Amino acid sequence: MRWWPRMHMEAVWALVRAALLTAMQYRASFIAEFLVGALSAAGVAAPLFLVYARVPEIQGWTLDQALLVTGFFLLYNAFVSGIVEPNLGSIVEGVRTGALDYLLLRPVDAQLVLSFSRVAPTAIWELLAGIVVVVGALMRLGAPTVADTALAAGLLMAGLASTYGLWLLVVCTSFWFVRVDNLRFLLSAVTDAGRWPVSVYGRGLRIALTTVVPVALVSSYPAMALLHRLDASLVLGAFATAGGMLVVSRGVLRLALSRYASASS
Amino acid sequence: MIEVRGLSKTYRVPVKKPGLAASFRSFFDREYKEVHAVADLSFSIAAGERVGFLGPNGAGKTTTLKMLSGLLYPTSGKIDVAGHVPQAREPAFLQRITLVMGQKQQLLWDLPAQETFELNRAMYGVDRKAYRETLDELVALLRAEPLLERPVRNLSLGERMKCELIAALIHRPQLLFLDEPTIGLDVEMQVQVRQFIAEHNRRTGATVILTSHYMQDIAALTPRLLIIDQGRLRFDGAVDTLTRQVAPERRVVVQQVLPELVPLGFSATEGRMVATVPAEAVNALLQRVLAVAPLVELGVEVPPLDEVIGRVFRGNRAEEGA
Repeated sequence: MRWWPRMHMEAVWALVRAALLTAMQYRASFIAEFLVGALSAAGVAAPLFLVYARVPEIQGWTLDQALLVTGFFLLYNAFVSGIVEPNLGSIVEGVRTGALDYLLLRPVDAQLVLSFSRVAPTAIWELLAGIVVVVGALMRLGAPTVADTALAAGLLMAGLASTYGLWLLVVCTSFWFVRVDNLRFLLSAVTDAGRWPVSVYGRGLRIALTTVVPVALVSSYPAMALLHRLDASLVLGAFATAGGMLVVSRGVLRLALSRYASASS
Repeated sequence: MIEVRGLSKTYRVPVKKPGLAASFRSFFDREYKEVHAVADLSFSIAAGERVGFLGPNGAGKTTTLKMLSGLLYPTSGKIDVAGHVPQAREPAFLQRITLVMGQKQQLLWDLPAQETFELNRAMYGVDRKAYRETLDELVALLRAEPLLERPVRNLSLGERMKCELIAALIHRPQLLFLDEPTIGLDVEMQVQVRQFIAEHNRRTGATVILTSHYMQDIAALTPRLLIIDQGRLRFDGAVDTLTRQVAPERRVVVQQVLPELVPLGFSATEGRMVATVPAEAVNALLQRVLAVAPLVELGVEVPPLDEVIGRVFRGNRAEEGA
């Protein structure tokens, strides 16, 4: 047996490789999905231009600053639609059909395998669009300091970790209730709110978007870090949320696996 | 290798009468029923043994295999497999076992089987040299060379089972759990799979635990038999012992119709004379037959295994009905 991290890196790479091969097996579907991905990525920024054509700023956010939020939201979306949704979504299906059997028999960390056995290659468009929008907005706003950039990157990671943890929690409920597809759709609908700067919302919604469904952590916080609008307590809160989400969701997954009933065969 | 004491598994299953109104009621006030899939099972299996689990549908065979391989948590009881508690799913334990399910597949459906082998290689951390050796050996034994490069969805059921077996054995497990590995296969393919399992057991000394509906699987592969019915262990021992216990009689067959044998207890069926007697009375009867008709062709038959097992199940039902 090999060293734990090395074996797991190899295992994840093998999974991702197989997922990519599968996605490319059907050429027509692959190309069609690519086009759809490109269109939807382009669609995310469009409403901003419509709104800012009429007003110069909203709640202290100018167009370029709001674009920064949109850029981070695109990065977040790439993560969710490219990795989180295909994998965690398939857990729900796997619990219902018993397809988790073979995954759970492998001598690698169950959470790792469940979280990385698929990729949706079309998410590359959202990833590229996100990078273009963030870099474009920064070119007009002026380059941020290295410290701000590092903080923004850290907050983005924390936000992604929180989102992942939340998704995992939702998906784990399927071990008890079997079908939870609609909960996932609800989650996707709510997180769509993250495309706007969090301060445009009322107080209640603002709290909800940073704690209950922490999408603001992913889109607004990194943007605010780049714009020097974050204070230390918000930063600490973001990292604490991420850590808490990861620990709790891992615990719940362990509990959920002990409830796994497979499916009769 | 395996120690099982007082193993039980109880599922809580929602029950619902048919119809829309009942569904509506069940939505708010769900009723559950407890299903005892496995009840108080105890047995031990030594390293290198080949053991067959036999029982009708829903007897608890698959549930037992899934608990032994750590997929399901037992409701109560103790399991020790090679020094591990299976449901803890420790990597060292999972490295040593494999589970093949005839009704499910681990092969990646859209890709050639080779990709699944490579995936499992990485998953089990097998180094490339050992992988190549194991793969070559398994492919040769199963004559699977032409199958490796075709997408799995284009393989026949039997070809897919060959590839499933390869995928399951890439990491050289010491313990094989085989759940209905021959289900749905044609006779020729069943024979090939059986030969392979026997050969693999002989070469590697791996312990094999197999469930099956086909008596031929059991008769050809597993000297020891565990019969499970309604979640309980009904028999544990050698196939011969079972036959002696449940069906101690033999059939003496004369290959022609001779009315003079009727007084000896024979009756005519399908152009033959058949008498059923206890095993210890066979010799005496043969001598009496030869005294009456010295030139007949004689044979002694043991009741076929499926008939014997059928009797075990019917016996259990009758006992419980009484």
